[in-house]
Amino acid sequence: MSLRRVKKGNIPWIIKYRPRTIEEVANQEEAKKRFLAWFKQWLEGKKPSKRGALLYGPPGVGKTSLVEAVARQYRFELLELNASDYRSAEAIRRTVGVAARKKPLWGRGIIILLDEIDGIAPREDSGGLRALLEIIPESENPIVMTANDPWKDQIRPLHQVSELIPFKSLSLTQVIAILQRICDLEGLECEREALRYIAEVERGDVRAAINDLQAIAEGYGRVTLTLARLLVRGREKKYEIFQTLNQIFYADKAWKARMAISNSQEDYETVIAWLNDNIPRKYEDPRDAYRAFDALSRATIMLNRAKFGGNWSLLNYVFTLAGPGVAFARKYSQISRQRYSYPDRIKMLARLREVRETRERLAQKIAEGVLSSRRLVKSEILPFLFIIFREVEDPSMAARLALGYNLDMKEVEFLAGPRAREILQAIEKIKRARREPRKPSSSRPEVEEKEAEKKGARRATRKRGRAKGSSTTLDSFFS
Amino acid sequence: MGYMALSTSIYELLWVEKYRPKTLDEIINQEEVVSRLKKFVETKNMPHLLFAGPAGTGKTTAAHALAHDLYGENYRQYMLELNASDERGINVIREKVKEFARSRTPPEIPFKIVLLDEADNMTADAQQALRRLMELYSVNTRFILIANYPSKIIDPIQSRCAFFRFQPLKKEDVVARLKYIAENEGVDYDYEALETIYEISEGDMRKAINILQAAAAIGKVTVDAVYKVVGMAKPKEVRQMLQLALKGDFNAARNLMRKLMIEYGLSGEDLIKQVHRVVMSNDFKVPEEARVLIADYVGEIHFRLVEGSDDDIQLSAFLAWLSMIGQRLGVEE
Repeated sequence: MSLRRVKKGNIPWIIKYRPRTIEEVANQEEAKKRFLAWFKQWLEGKKPSKRGALLYGPPGVGKTSLVEAVARQYRFELLELNASDYRSAEAIRRTVGVAARKKPLWGRGIIILLDEIDGIAPREDSGGLRALLEIIPESENPIVMTANDPWKDQIRPLHQVSELIPFKSLSLTQVIAILQRICDLEGLECEREALRYIAEVERGDVRAAINDLQAIAEGYGRVTLTLARLLVRGREKKYEIFQTLNQIFYADKAWKARMAISNSQEDYETVIAWLNDNIPRKYEDPRDAYRAFDALSRATIMLNRAKFGGNWSLLNYVFTLAGPGVAFARKYSQISRQRYSYPDRIKMLARLREVRETRERLAQKIAEGVLSSRRLVKSEILPFLFIIFREVEDPSMAARLALGYNLDMKEVEFLAGPRAREILQAIEKIKRARREPRKPSSSRPEVEEKEAEKKGARRATRKRGRAKGSSTTLDSFFS
Repeated sequence: MGYMALSTSIYELLWVEKYRPKTLDEIINQEEVVSRLKKFVETKNMPHLLFAGPAGTGKTTAAHALAHDLYGENYRQYMLELNASDERGINVIREKVKEFARSRTPPEIPFKIVLLDEADNMTADAQQALRRLMELYSVNTRFILIANYPSKIIDPIQSRCAFFRFQPLKKEDVVARLKYIAENEGVDYDYEALETIYEISEGDMRKAINILQAAAAIGKVTVDAVYKVVGMAKPKEVRQMLQLALKGDFNAARNLMRKLMIEYGLSGEDLIKQVHRVVMSNDFKVPEEARVLIADYVGEIHFRLVEGSDDDIQLSAFLAWLSMIGQRLGVEE
């Protein structure tokens, strides 16, 4: 699972869209039937022969959700414990043991849920397991456990005291359907292919897939295949990239470093992106960092020649430069145990593209007026606009220029940076003042002023007609 | 008194646009050029033209003024404006010219004008193709080519054009124009400041007027204000980035590099050009001989960027190099 970054203050979607009722637990009909059959015996006051239930299956298919939904629906109290809570025999007796003995004569029954029971360590926690094996057969309340792999040695003894209930892994189509539903509920623009990609990478793990979806959506406002490809990395894949990086950074032979990249399951451009961000973490001495970056820089030039010159045999040198070239740049640095960081650059790309589009649009608007190329506007005129929009205390000239060139919000934000709010407010103020009848004490002759305004207005109309890409013009924004 | 005193229109334009001469008569310098151009207006005929000269000397303005005087207020419908550095290749230019040549001809004047700005940014091959276009459509179109460096225009084109050289503007002309604009805008100014603007802009009228407008936005246009504006036009972050790298703080330098690219939408090439400017400027403090050393590597990185390889990696390589060099130079701060 990859991007766990969930914005503060927002509910994680895995919680927001967690099934509330038994019906909402999707695609586990068989498991539901078996679990309910076992649970109904408790409801009817007969204790089943096996007083524990072991729900097992891949992560994120609804095991815990089902238990929670059942508890909610039948108004049972849910005592939820997970691996860290039941390590020692003593802790188990204090928590599970006590709860198991409570007799629900009146009031609500209790479901004891031991999540991730296969997280119990084989040796260290063996006392805990023994305690559990004593408690379960005597329990007055249903004890439900979940596990990914029920065949692990350390939990196998539980089979004797528990009903085994398998959960299927979800099919691709089922995961896609769940993601699609969330997109619809969130009013989110999602490419079908992106959802398929996420579902494929996460292999039936709905929880991981929803986390990925949320991370992309919150970062970029929409979910496209390109973004998904860049941002979503499956469990194994993530492990693979770390392995590739280790093989490069800790190589003792050039051929090994080279093979690390040429044989990596990751495509080489991804490996290069990770190297780019992690060289400074691994090489603290600037001399080493420089040599590594220089090799990487040459690797990308070769890559470019291979791509656009169409001669793919050049790829050989890409591997050599990016693999051994980076690996043997170490001369002065200690071996660093710093963890690898996720490439920032990849996260930046979408934002960068958007800013560049705004800059291009703005340059075009101004270029038409000042009869220059966009290139010249960018190099000779934008620097002065940045001064007027960012450095000048009085926002009025900036605001009036924004009106004169009919800039949209994005363009103003681009020019004004941190001062965008202030400039936008100034624009609004000017427009408001203009709607009110003007005092006659204006020091400029009325005619000339009208003339100037007419000119400005004419320009504004012309610009609006031409500037295709811009959606909200300031006019429509403020009126 | 600030700038708002007199102008009360809610719209404002860049003064380079607002005060651009519209007709040949309004162009107050380049007398020789202007008098030759006026002849074309009188005779209603002209050859292909090549305007050459430094930035901000009025080449594009003169071309528009000429078209204005030939065709009148709505001259732009008889003129195809192209910019070599914005158009995507000669094929796009060819298509546009072809379509334009077929469009309506102006009354009284037997030709339309194709204005090709920054023509010296075209490759020699593209210029050959351009030459053929000029011949093909010479019946009813005339080309005006504009270039900073006429030597970059191939001979066969030069020989087909009447050549006009634009001189850097004279001090009195620039100062007089700045004074006119300042007074018209109700800007409070020191005369000395206008002279300073001229010296800094080196006869480039566009730059001079831009400086004036930015300085006026701040308040009274004084010598200090002018220097302040000029200083601000170079983003201080670029200098900071270089200083951080030289100090050996590669990570901080790279973060700033990424911030700059995001915030200003700069490409790797944009940024490396600014780096070169800063390296060669006096307010960047390094030993003089180090400037050449650094600029040399800046050039290498620029070359790699032109080859089209990844911006972030090339600039990272540059900053890493700078961190290493900083250690060697013993730069501290």
